[in-house]
Amino acid sequence: MSGHKLSLVVNGERVEADVPSNRLLSEFLRDDLALTGTKRGCETGVCGACSVLVDGDVVKSCLSLAVQMNGREITTVEGLGRVGALHPLQQQFMEKGGLQCGYCTPGFLMAAVDLLKRNPNPDDAEIREGLSGNLCRCTGYQGIVDAIRSTAEAGHGA
Amino acid sequence: MTVSVVGQPMPQVSAQEKVQGRAVYAGDIKMAGMLHAKLLRSPHAHARILSIDTSAAEALPGVKVVVTGDDVPRRRWGVHHKQQNVLACGLVRFVGEEVAAVVATTEAVAQDALELIRIEYEELPAVLDIDAALSEGAVPVHPEGNVVDEINIARGDVEAGFAAADIVHEEVYTTHSQYPGYMEPMATVAATDGNGRLTVWTSTQSVFLARQRLAEALDRPISSIRVIQATVGGGFGAKIVEERSSVIAAFLATKVDRPVRLNLSRLDDIQSGCFSVPMRIRLKMGMTRDGTITAKDVTIEAECGAYAGLSPEVMLVTAMRSDNMQRLENVRSHARMIHTHTMPRGAFRGFGGTQMSFALNSHMSTMADMLGMDPFDLHRRNAIRTGDLSVHGWEIGSCGLPECLDQVSTALDWTARRARNTRCGVLRRGVGMAAVMHVSGNRTMGNWDGSTVVLKVNEDGRVVILTAESDMGQGANTMLTQICAQELGIPVSHVTVQAPDTDNSPYCLGSLASRVTINAGNAMLGAARQARSQILEAAAQKLGCEAADLTIADGVVHSGKNPNLFAPLPEICRYHIFRHGGEGILVRHTHDPKTVMMNKEHYGNIAPAYSFAAQALEVEVDTETGQVRVVETYLSDDCGKAINPLTVHGQSAGAAVQAVGWTLYEELQMEGGRVMNGNLADYTMPTAEAVPTMHSDIVETDEPNGPLGAKGASETAILPGAPAIANAVYDAIGVRITDLPITPEKILAALAAKEQPHA
Amino acid sequence: MHSFEFMEPTTLAEALRLLATHEDDACVFAGGTALLLAMRQRMMVPEIVVSLGRLHDLRTIGWTPAGGLRIGALARHGDVARSELVQQHYPMLAGVAAGLANPQVRNQATIGGNLCYADPATDPPSCLIAMGAEVTIAGPDGERRIPMRTFSVDFFTTALEPGEILTGILLPPPDPQRLGHYRRHLRTAAEHRPVANVALTARRVGSAWDEVRLVVGAATPSPQSMTRAEAYLAGRAITLDVAAEAASLVAEELAPISDGRGDAAFRRQVVRAATRRIVAEAAGLDWKETAA
Repeated sequence: MSGHKLSLVVNGERVEADVPSNRLLSEFLRDDLALTGTKRGCETGVCGACSVLVDGDVVKSCLSLAVQMNGREITTVEGLGRVGALHPLQQQFMEKGGLQCGYCTPGFLMAAVDLLKRNPNPDDAEIREGLSGNLCRCTGYQGIVDAIRSTAEAGHGA
Repeated sequence: MTVSVVGQPMPQVSAQEKVQGRAVYAGDIKMAGMLHAKLLRSPHAHARILSIDTSAAEALPGVKVVVTGDDVPRRRWGVHHKQQNVLACGLVRFVGEEVAAVVATTEAVAQDALELIRIEYEELPAVLDIDAALSEGAVPVHPEGNVVDEINIARGDVEAGFAAADIVHEEVYTTHSQYPGYMEPMATVAATDGNGRLTVWTSTQSVFLARQRLAEALDRPISSIRVIQATVGGGFGAKIVEERSSVIAAFLATKVDRPVRLNLSRLDDIQSGCFSVPMRIRLKMGMTRDGTITAKDVTIEAECGAYAGLSPEVMLVTAMRSDNMQRLENVRSHARMIHTHTMPRGAFRGFGGTQMSFALNSHMSTMADMLGMDPFDLHRRNAIRTGDLSVHGWEIGSCGLPECLDQVSTALDWTARRARNTRCGVLRRGVGMAAVMHVSGNRTMGNWDGSTVVLKVNEDGRVVILTAESDMGQGANTMLTQICAQELGIPVSHVTVQAPDTDNSPYCLGSLASRVTINAGNAMLGAARQARSQILEAAAQKLGCEAADLTIADGVVHSGKNPNLFAPLPEICRYHIFRHGGEGILVRHTHDPKTVMMNKEHYGNIAPAYSFAAQALEVEVDTETGQVRVVETYLSDDCGKAINPLTVHGQSAGAAVQAVGWTLYEELQMEGGRVMNGNLADYTMPTAEAVPTMHSDIVETDEPNGPLGAKGASETAILPGAPAIANAVYDAIGVRITDLPITPEKILAALAAKEQPHA
Repeated sequence: MHSFEFMEPTTLAEALRLLATHEDDACVFAGGTALLLAMRQRMMVPEIVVSLGRLHDLRTIGWTPAGGLRIGALARHGDVARSELVQQHYPMLAGVAAGLANPQVRNQATIGGNLCYADPATDPPSCLIAMGAEVTIAGPDGERRIPMRTFSVDFFTTALEPGEILTGILLPPPDPQRLGHYRRHLRTAAEHRPVANVALTARRVGSAWDEVRLVVGAATPSPQSMTRAEAYLAGRAITLDVAAEAASLVAEELAPISDGRGDAAFRRQVVRAATRRIVAEAAGLDWKETAA
C-alpha cells in the first residue's frame, strides 16, 4: 500500500528511504540496508536476536515498524565497533567466551550496551535481569555475564 | 617450541567476525535473482491427500512455482529406513508435514500464496502416543508396522545376578521430548548453475551427509551437488542428517532454475520436529549390601514419531551406553522404537544418553538411600577405571570419573550441605548428584570414523586448513587452529580454517558423536607434523645443516646447535616452491581410529576414547508454588587434555543449562498431534535469570588415543543435569519425580499425595 | 504482515477525527509491541493504523502535591520505572514497571497500550487498581474520567468505546499512611509472563489496616478485587494466621482462568501462596517459616 518517506540516522550515517507501512524495522535493516548482523530468531519478540538501539535505548526491531523510525537514530551491531576499534563489550565477549554460534551475539551486545549505560556497575543479578529479553542456547549465559561484568569492572560501563 | 598454544584459553577463531555481526549465516545470503520459498504444512496428524488445487496460488503475481508431492521424485530418503519424499506424497503422517511449497519474488508473496492453496484431505485415524501405537489393531504409521526397530542385548547371567543381590529396585521413568532450540532457525540458499549443477549453502553439522541426503531425495548423482556450510547458528544434533528443509529448498532451486532461499520461521522450525526422542524406561537393578551392582535389566519404549531418522541409533545408545560406565557383568536390555503420527524425533546432544542417565542416576540415588550409603560412594564403588574392558567390550583408555566425583562433591561441600537439610519451612533446599559417560567418536555412520585434514602452507608461511568437520559454535575450528599453530610454531592468527565445502574439502562425517576433537584433532596433528618436517627438510637444504637440528618458533626456523643458522618461515616456504622440482607445501593426513563396528551382539570397542562427567547441585523447592530453582551447581568434565579450556567451560555451561531447561522449564504441549506452544514465549527455554552461575571444572586425564591427550568435551555435560536435579528435589522434599519435566504441578501433586498417603 | 495505511496524527483532535472517520477499519497504535504480534499472526487485520507516536504531550509524567500523579498514556514502562517522581512518591508502581517483561519491551511498550490491549497476563492493571488509579479517556464528545477498576472489563476488553483514546492515568496524592506491596508470580523462572499477581494497598491505622485493596491479576480474565479478604483484613491485627486466612478467602473467591501456563487449580494455589506472602510481608512478618 502506501510508501512512507523515512529520514533517519543509522550507525552514524544519514539514510533516506521509502518503505511500505508494514515493513518491520528488522526487515528494513536486514533486507533494505543489508545490515544482516541484526538477526531474526523468533519473530515474536522473545529471543532478542534482533535487538538494536533506537535513540540509545535497546529495543526489539521485530516489534517495531520502520515507519516509526522517522527522525530517529539507530545503532546496530555493525555500528558498535570495527576491527582495530572494537567496543569494549565486543572485546570482552570474545575473551570471556560470551559467544559460541554467534547468532544471538549481536542482540546480547546491544542489550549489554543499554544495561551498562543505565547501570555502570551492575552485580550479577542485575546483569542477568538486564539480559532477560535475550535467549542464548550455547553459552549457558556464563560467558556473557562474565564478559559484561569484566567490561564494567574495567570502567567501560558508563 | 614456542609458548604452548594447546591448553591455553583463547577466544574462538570465529569470535571476532561474530561480535561484529559479520559472520554470514545462510539466512543472510542474498544472490542476484534470488527467490523466496515458503512451505505449507499438514493440519492433520494422519490424512490422505485427495486433491490439491494450486491454481489460485500460481495466479498470484510474483509467484514463480507451486510444487506438491506430485512433483517430487518418487525415490524415498532416510538414514536407514527410507521413508520420506521431498514433500508428502498422497499421505500425511504428522501435523506439520510439508505438503506444498511456493517460490515467489518475496517471502510475503510466498506467504500469501500459501493461503490460496486448496487441499482436500480425508482424515484418517491417528496413533498419537506409544500406547496407542502398540495397541491391538492400531493403525500402522507405515506398512511395516509401528515397531520400527527392536534391540535385545544380554550379557552374563542376569537372573543369577538378581538372585545374588541383597536389594533389588525397579522403577519406570519417562523422559520427554526437547526442542534443540538453536537460535538460528533452519535456513538454506540453493542455486543451480548453467551446467545444471546444484550448490546448496546451508546450516548443517555435516556437508557430506547433507550431500548424500540431497542426492538420494532429489534422485541425482552425488557429484552433481555441492554443499557449502554457512555459519551455523547452533545445531545440537538436529542438523546432522534429519532436517528436511534444506532438501526442499534444494529441490525448489532445481524447479525454478534460480537461487532460492528458504528461511524457516520459528513456528516452522518447531513444527518440522527436530526434537529429542521421548522414552519410557523400566529399570531394575540388584545390589549387594556393599553397593556392588549385581544385575541390571532395562526395558525401553521410545517414540520416533512419523519417520525413524537416527532414532534407532539414539535408542541403541540408551540401551547400552551407561552400562560401560560401571564394572558390570550381568546386564540385559530390550528396547523398541515405535512410530506414531507425530513429528519425527531424532538426534539431540547426548544422543540417547540423557534419557538413560535420568533413569540410572535416579535409581542409583534411590538405592544408595536403601543401603544407607552416600550416592557418591555408591558411584565410586561401581565406577569403571582406566584400563578396564567394559561389559560391552569398550576399552577404557582413560577414565577421570572418580576425579570428577571428587571435584564436584568437594566444590559443593556435599557432605556438609547434605547434613544441613532439615526438610522444614516453605522453601526447602536439597542436594543431588549424577555421574555419566559419553563416547568420543563412533562407527555407526557406515563403519568408518576417520577424518582427513588437508593443510596448505602459503608462501608467506601462513596456513590454510581444509576439513569438512563442522564448527557450529562448539569450537572445532579453534581446536584445529591451536593444534596446527603449536605444531608449526606459528601464531594462531596465521591459521585459517576454511568452511566445509564438498567440492574442496576432504571427505569427513562432520560434527556428531563428539568425534571431531579426537579424530580431526589427530588428523590435524598428523598433517601439521608432516608439513613441519617438509619445512625443516627444505630449511636444512637451504641452510646446509641437518633437519634434526632445526626447529620452528615464532615463525622462524632456527638451528638448536648454531645460533647463526636461521631463516624466517616465509623464506623457507618460498624456497620450497621456487626451485627445480619445487612445489607449494600441501599435505594431507587421514586419521582412522583403531576401533571396530560393534558386532551383531552389540559387542566391540566402538570409540577411540570415552569421556566422563559428574555434577552436583543444590535446588530450592517452593512447597507452596511448586517452583524448583537450581541455586548452585558444579560440573566436572573429563575431556582428556583440554585444548581450549575457555571453550570446554563454555560447552559445560551451555550443556548444563540446556539440561536445566529440559528438566524444569521446557515442555512440548501437544493436542491431537498438534503443537500448542510452538513459539519461544510458550516453549520456555532458560533465560539468564532462570539459571545460577554455572560452575565448571575440568579433569585432564591423558587419553592415549587422543591428539595430545584430548578427547570429546561437548556432549558429556548435558547428561547429568536432569537426574541431579531430581535427586536434589528428593533430598529437599522427600518426593521422587520419575517423569520429566519436573513441573510445579507435579511437585504440588506429589507433596499433596505425600501428606495424605491414603487419599 | 498484511498491508495497511499508517497514519501519524500530530494532535489528539486529529487522531480522534481519524478514528471517527474510519471507525472499525482503524486501530490505535501506541508502542506497538503487542499489536504488531497480533497483526503478524493475523489476529488483527486493521486497514488503518493510527499511530499516536507524535502526540508527545501524551508521554509526559507530572505530579502535584494536591493533584497526585498524571502519567501520559504513551509513557513507556521504562519511563515510568525511571521517573524520579514515580520512584519517590509511588515506589510500588515504579517497581512494577521496572520488573515488567524485559528491558527491550520496557523501552518500547507504553503503559496506555498495555491497559488498552487488556491481555490478562500482565502486571500494571492490578497494581493500578489497588492504588486507586483513574484513567482519562478522550472521545468525540470530550474527555471522561473513570476508575481503573471499571476500565478492565474482560479478556482483551476494556471500557473504551469505539473512537475513544486512553490519554492518561491518574493516581491520587500519596498518603504516607498507605502501604503498598506487589508480587508477581512466574510459573517457572524461565517464563516471560506472570501466571498470577497480587497487589495490596491499605491504610495503616495503629497496628491494624483500613481501606484494604487486594487485587489479583493475570490469574483471571481481568483483575479481580478480593472483596471478602479486603473486608476480613480491615481492622485486624495481622498475624501469620490472619495472612493464611486471607489467602484462603482469596482462593475461594477467585475465578481463575486455565491455559497453557496453568490450570485453574494451579492458579488458585499460586494466588493463595502469593496472597499469604504479600499480607505477611506488608505486616513485616516472615512467611518463610510456616507453610500455609
